[in-house]
Amino acid sequence: MSADATPLKRGRQRLPAQLRPRDAEQPGSGRLWRVETVVLLLVGLLLAIATVNDVVLATHTNHRLVVDLRTWRHYTGHNYKNVSAEQDIRKYTTTDVVCGNTTPGPPKERIQLCLQVTGPTVKGLRAARGGWYLPPKADNLHRYRYGCFGPPKQQGVCPR
Amino acid sequence: MSVAAQSELRLARTRSAQWAPALAAVCALVLVAATAEIVLDGAVGHSALIPKSPQIAGWLSGIGERLGFRVFLIAILAFSAGYAGLWALGRTVSKRWAIALIAVLHAIVFVGPILLSTDVFSYIAYARMGVEHGINPYLHGPIAIPHDPVYHYVGTDWKLVATAYGPLYTLLSYPFAPLGVEGALWGMKVLAMLASAGTLALVWRCARLREINPVGAILLVGANPLYVIYCLGGAHNDLVMLLLMMAAVSLTFARRDAPAAAAVVAGALVKATVAALLPFMILARRSRAQIFGALAALVLGLLIGLLAFGVDGINIIAALNRDAAFVSTDSFPTEIAHLVGKPGVFPIDHDLLKAALVVVGLHLMWRTWRGYDWVAASGWALLAISVTSSWLLAWYILWPLPLAVISRDRRLLVATLAVQALFIVHQLTPLFAPVS
Repeated sequence: MSADATPLKRGRQRLPAQLRPRDAEQPGSGRLWRVETVVLLLVGLLLAIATVNDVVLATHTNHRLVVDLRTWRHYTGHNYKNVSAEQDIRKYTTTDVVCGNTTPGPPKERIQLCLQVTGPTVKGLRAARGGWYLPPKADNLHRYRYGCFGPPKQQGVCPR
Repeated sequence: MSVAAQSELRLARTRSAQWAPALAAVCALVLVAATAEIVLDGAVGHSALIPKSPQIAGWLSGIGERLGFRVFLIAILAFSAGYAGLWALGRTVSKRWAIALIAVLHAIVFVGPILLSTDVFSYIAYARMGVEHGINPYLHGPIAIPHDPVYHYVGTDWKLVATAYGPLYTLLSYPFAPLGVEGALWGMKVLAMLASAGTLALVWRCARLREINPVGAILLVGANPLYVIYCLGGAHNDLVMLLLMMAAVSLTFARRDAPAAAAVVAGALVKATVAALLPFMILARRSRAQIFGALAALVLGLLIGLLAFGVDGINIIAALNRDAAFVSTDSFPTEIAHLVGKPGVFPIDHDLLKAALVVVGLHLMWRTWRGYDWVAASGWALLAISVTSSWLLAWYILWPLPLAVISRDRRLLVATLAVQALFIVHQLTPLFAPVS
């Protein structure tokens, strides 16, 4: 220990050899390097699997939404571009709600018809079991719904 | 190996060396073409990928078509492939060509519209709240200025949210406020360009000091798809943070410990994340000057923040806690939640992620104390923060990149680029199943 060492440096010198700070790693740290690399590879594998799984899930959902939009256009006979589809984010079922204008106009600027679309895809379409109407400029919220038909009528989806 | 086989191998190497510059040129052209495609299509106007914006790139609008997911994703994939090629061929690219390529990419993005994010309009809104309306941006969101021309451009999700950026950045943005929305937008673009140029210059300097190929280092940062298209394209303030981070690294290499620590604190007063460097820097250098430098900069910064914005302007912990609760669909925790059948990230998951981050941080600190490269440790810490964050945006996974290219642990670079690649893969769904 040199005579001009600071109290901080003197304190570090008193530490056991395994705890003392070093300016460079010792050559014998290869085992730790291998353990770290294995952990990193495992984490990387987990992230890769999770990413691919998410892409597959999202792709399936997008395919379903495409069928939903096609179903709305088929049932209403309107080939409108701006039709919106909502997923069931409460119970995570595959029953979606698809809304669009009943007459030509900008999105949500006319009375909207919402269809509850459910079931498997058959011949490129899913089943529309029922639905409701929304006034112009209204979002698909319970308080705005009216004219329910099909199962939504029995389920009390419309407030009046 | 027989003499004939050795001769064949030598011939093959010579041939590949001859082709390498041509292949690198092709990769560079792919990068330029992909960037130009995105910018020209983006200049047509608002789409799902281009936020509503003043028509700053209107003169480019007659050439492309409105930017959709398909074209954008193909361009990003092409850009990524070209980038991977440049990574492999980096040694064959001359300094002049590397700088020219990066300058061209920057210039194309600079003249184009704001890409992929409304954040820059939030920056302008916060600046205009403070300068034009006398409203503290640390207490109110842009909803407080509904009649200001910038309000229309602020993202819907952010209208109620007060600024989470540090007081230094907010003060830095104030001079742009009187310029109007368009003037401020150009100001933000210039600031992003200058910060990027400074960051790349410092990456060059640090790479040379560490005897790492500086051409490869600046190509890996300055021609990175997320850096060019997402970060630079959106004029994100992360570039200012990266500039201060690299200034701190460069100053540490020059053994100027006090200014280095002060630069980290300044960076944290732009965006708090960069504070993650400080413990590793201190453990590696073990110098009192760092602690004094950091404390002096912190006291000065907090005093200025307090005078300018009151207590809320310096309550960085509250802002971090608020942001840590956000959840984005692109984050790795969300993806893992989906993998195990959960609909998303729950509050308990946030606690587990924080605990994991603490474990990683402690391990890295111990390694740094025992001589591990502190630059690499800082990079790992920033990478761990972005991977464990439930709110992940493309520019967050750029934070470790400038450190990764100059670190002594090549695993960090591979891990950073792998995480970026996974992020891009996660964006690809509309390519497989477009919704229309």
